[in-house]
Amino acid sequence: MFYTYISSFAKFKIQMHPKCICAVDVLFTESFGAAVSSLNTSHLTDEVIRRSKRMILDTLGVGLLGTSTPVFNTVLQCSQVRMQALEDSKVWGRPGLSLPPQYAAFVNGVAVHSMDFDDTWHPATHPSGAVLPAVLALAETLPVKPSGLELLLAFNVGIEVQGRLLRFSKEAHNIPKRFHPPAVVGVMGSVAATAKLLGLSAAQSIAALAIACSSAGAPMANAATQTKPLHMGNAARGGLEATQLALLSLEGNTQILDLESGFGAFYPDYVPHPLAEVTPTSHYRWVLEDQNIAQKRFPAHLGMHWVADAAIEARAKFLDKCPNADLSQIKKITLRVPTSRYVDCPLPVSEHQARHSFQFNCCTALLDGEVTVESFSKSQMNRSALKEMLLKVQLENPQDNHSSFEKMYCEIAVETTQGEMFTARCNTFYGHWRKPLSHEDLVRKFRANASTVLRAEVVEGIIYTVDHLDTNQDCSMLWSYMHFNKHMMHRDERHSSALA
Amino acid sequence: INVCTQRSTRYLSAISAARGLHKSALDVAERPAPEETVTSSFGRFIQSIQPRHLSPTVLQRSKRMVLDSIGVGLLGSTTDVFELALQHCQHMYAPDDVSFVYGRQGVKLSPTLAAFVNGVAAHSMDFDDTWHPATHPSGAVLPALLAISDMFHNNSKPSGLDILTAFNVGIEIQGWLMRFSNEAHNIPKRFHPPSVVGTMGSAAACARLLSLDRNQCSNALAIAASLAGAPMANAATQSKPLHIGNASRLGLEAALLASRGLEASPLVLDAVPGVAGFSAFYEDYAPNPIASLEEHEHSFLIETQDIAFKRFPAHLGMHWIADAAAVVHKTLVGLKGGSVSPNLVQEILLRVPLSKYINRPFPETEHQARHSFQFNACTALLDGEVTVQSFHPEALQRPELLALLSRVRVEHPHDNPANFNIMYGEVEVTLVSGDVLRGRCDTFYGHWRNPLSQESLQKKFRSNAGAVLSNDRVERLIEAVEGLDHLDDCKPLLAQLQ
Repeated sequence: MFYTYISSFAKFKIQMHPKCICAVDVLFTESFGAAVSSLNTSHLTDEVIRRSKRMILDTLGVGLLGTSTPVFNTVLQCSQVRMQALEDSKVWGRPGLSLPPQYAAFVNGVAVHSMDFDDTWHPATHPSGAVLPAVLALAETLPVKPSGLELLLAFNVGIEVQGRLLRFSKEAHNIPKRFHPPAVVGVMGSVAATAKLLGLSAAQSIAALAIACSSAGAPMANAATQTKPLHMGNAARGGLEATQLALLSLEGNTQILDLESGFGAFYPDYVPHPLAEVTPTSHYRWVLEDQNIAQKRFPAHLGMHWVADAAIEARAKFLDKCPNADLSQIKKITLRVPTSRYVDCPLPVSEHQARHSFQFNCCTALLDGEVTVESFSKSQMNRSALKEMLLKVQLENPQDNHSSFEKMYCEIAVETTQGEMFTARCNTFYGHWRKPLSHEDLVRKFRANASTVLRAEVVEGIIYTVDHLDTNQDCSMLWSYMHFNKHMMHRDERHSSALA
Repeated sequence: INVCTQRSTRYLSAISAARGLHKSALDVAERPAPEETVTSSFGRFIQSIQPRHLSPTVLQRSKRMVLDSIGVGLLGSTTDVFELALQHCQHMYAPDDVSFVYGRQGVKLSPTLAAFVNGVAAHSMDFDDTWHPATHPSGAVLPALLAISDMFHNNSKPSGLDILTAFNVGIEIQGWLMRFSNEAHNIPKRFHPPSVVGTMGSAAACARLLSLDRNQCSNALAIAASLAGAPMANAATQSKPLHIGNASRLGLEAALLASRGLEASPLVLDAVPGVAGFSAFYEDYAPNPIASLEEHEHSFLIETQDIAFKRFPAHLGMHWIADAAAVVHKTLVGLKGGSVSPNLVQEILLRVPLSKYINRPFPETEHQARHSFQFNACTALLDGEVTVQSFHPEALQRPELLALLSRVRVEHPHDNPANFNIMYGEVEVTLVSGDVLRGRCDTFYGHWRNPLSQESLQKKFRSNAGAVLSNDRVERLIEAVEGLDHLDDCKPLLAQLQ
């Protein structure tokens, strides 16, 4: 009797959040576990459905394009060594090739982020690439396939958890310096989404979150290198694996999201909040509803998009004034941008560096009037006109230009040898969440990307399927479509009849 | 910064072209001295170190570590968490693979997954070695190396010295990395060290055994950095062993990726302001390059800083308090004879360092019990020692233990910092009779200042390995490890584990 009293008192003390003397019953982790397991399809609003379908389409397109990159090929080779499971999932753009679901999630996640073409959110992360590959890889292995709405739900739970976690620290609101956000919140999104899809209980969801947390975190230094896409792949993989381990009853710290020594380890200023209680009929306020997402027009770090739009405008002014002008008449280019060392690269050598270079994207936009997928090819990067122009660029970091995707701007001043000055400023580039891509432009981006790998009918098939995701009962053609490649022979004839 | 663009373009583009450096990195490059970056010095070290660089002390100590690690791994193969990790891997992947699994004769997995489950086994009971600054170095390195060894064709297996060299590289890299920050010298609060330096050590060791060139070695480290880092909160839970399992597995993956040409940051170990590399895991980070082996005699850290082997499977801090409590137990038994009865005890005071995750008044699981000053003190007070069996479910629930636990108070004296090199443990028991008995331990038996004798180490190994292997195999393993540096071919070692 005495012992029981003591032990419940002790339990009370042990479970108290160090910072929170009174709210002993408000455990943040618990609220997450509860939310993940209780959210259902009825909580999805129209706007959320619309926005998330756009994200899914965009992600699939960039993923397909990414299957042509060297980094994708490298990770694929590595994953294939001795890998064969009871249930495999399809690798995008590689007909006939399947891998165990975590590895499919891994390589497909790498594909999505391989060219830095995937979506970006505020606070900063690339949310979809960590979630979609894991959800699709998992869905494929289920004996009873989820409906389109169930897929959408899982996807949105994965996005939502990321959004919530990012709001637990001020540091997360700025362009990152220490840990690459997809590696921190991405794995948590992946675990939440896959837990949702498998219908884990609240307690299992908590365990999954805790296990996933031990796989979180990769330093920024690998951004702008060939390894960066692996952050995404590993986030997708790690989350799925955590869910599988939780299903096998592995346990972790049930207060993982509450503790500074838990998820808080990744932030110096970590202040978690509980998720609102979710009942079967309540209205749920999704972060995606209040905060839309940015989708890129060309494959480079988000900051480059302000620079490109400003440069394009300045170029137009220049050519307007002097229609036959030769761009070599430019003497000096000043860029006023926020301070961010990992995207300040005066003379990029690799494509990865070029995607993370204010200077490179500025000069490309000035020369060509646009930045495209092709701009990062070797031949384009090696143009002498481009290289010469790079030497004329100078960066300035005005005090009022904050390192935040919500607040930053880019100002460009182009000075010619004739002494003329052309300036332009971009506050919000086209594609930013404040000025989202139109439906036509989003679909056009998808077609351009997907057609590098898929035949037209398959491209249209995906567009149609995603568009009708919320009303479709059977979405298994989605991963079948992703499995094609017009450049490769189909080993299995049954793939073609899937279209019939 | 403006000066840069005005310099000779040829200089700038040559340097940039050679290194592809960001502006921030150009600052590093402009240092007048031979600008080897910290990162590249590590890559070079890994690639160029040779067996002849291993001194006798290093050989001796590292063989002890290898023996202990195999033993705890074999014992660990009897745990639930191990069984769970194994099932997971087997569900996911076909069983016809090449690398052995501790305690599962005939079962094989792919090399990375074998490294994973065997790493989990090694740390499953918190019975593996501990170093200073704090980490569990061997469990992150050895499983990956042995898994790779199984990969080699029978005719071209690495020699014992190859394995010992790679093993020591893995340990050494971890030691070096931990010396780059003051924070690393104390009992950790934020990231679990094996998940931070262990992954790097595994990558380094694997890169060495796979004979990668120096650039590939650097890249292996950089790729591994993106796979490092698990928060402390999962210590004292069932997930903690996965930190070591993943460290081993992911370090191996990083090396394999690097061998296929994957590139990552060339400055991952350097301190670049504004862009965190490995420094992301520490508040204070000040790296130094490893001097070139050509110009400088390399002294391995294990030579001057020995390692602690545990006598029972619990967090290292528990060993001080257990030894202190054992002293009191002996006195009590001496006074009254027979066993210790809780009724004699009025109050128990523990003087221990301040560390939240090992201060647990009423642990409910074995994982928590292994991380509880209170539990280990009371167990040692009752039984005179803490053993593997002390953490079995029945032992956890003993009424006499629970009675003692409810009488424990904890104090954190200022002179007892959370540091494995300096801390002590003190137990003060006030009897109902009014007598006060005290026990103190400054250096427990097994600590690096008071290392286990070879007999004690082998006894621990026999007890652990004997839980799953026949006596024959146990003895042959002892022999194989003892003569590891003389084995032309590591098959005798691997054969006993298959």
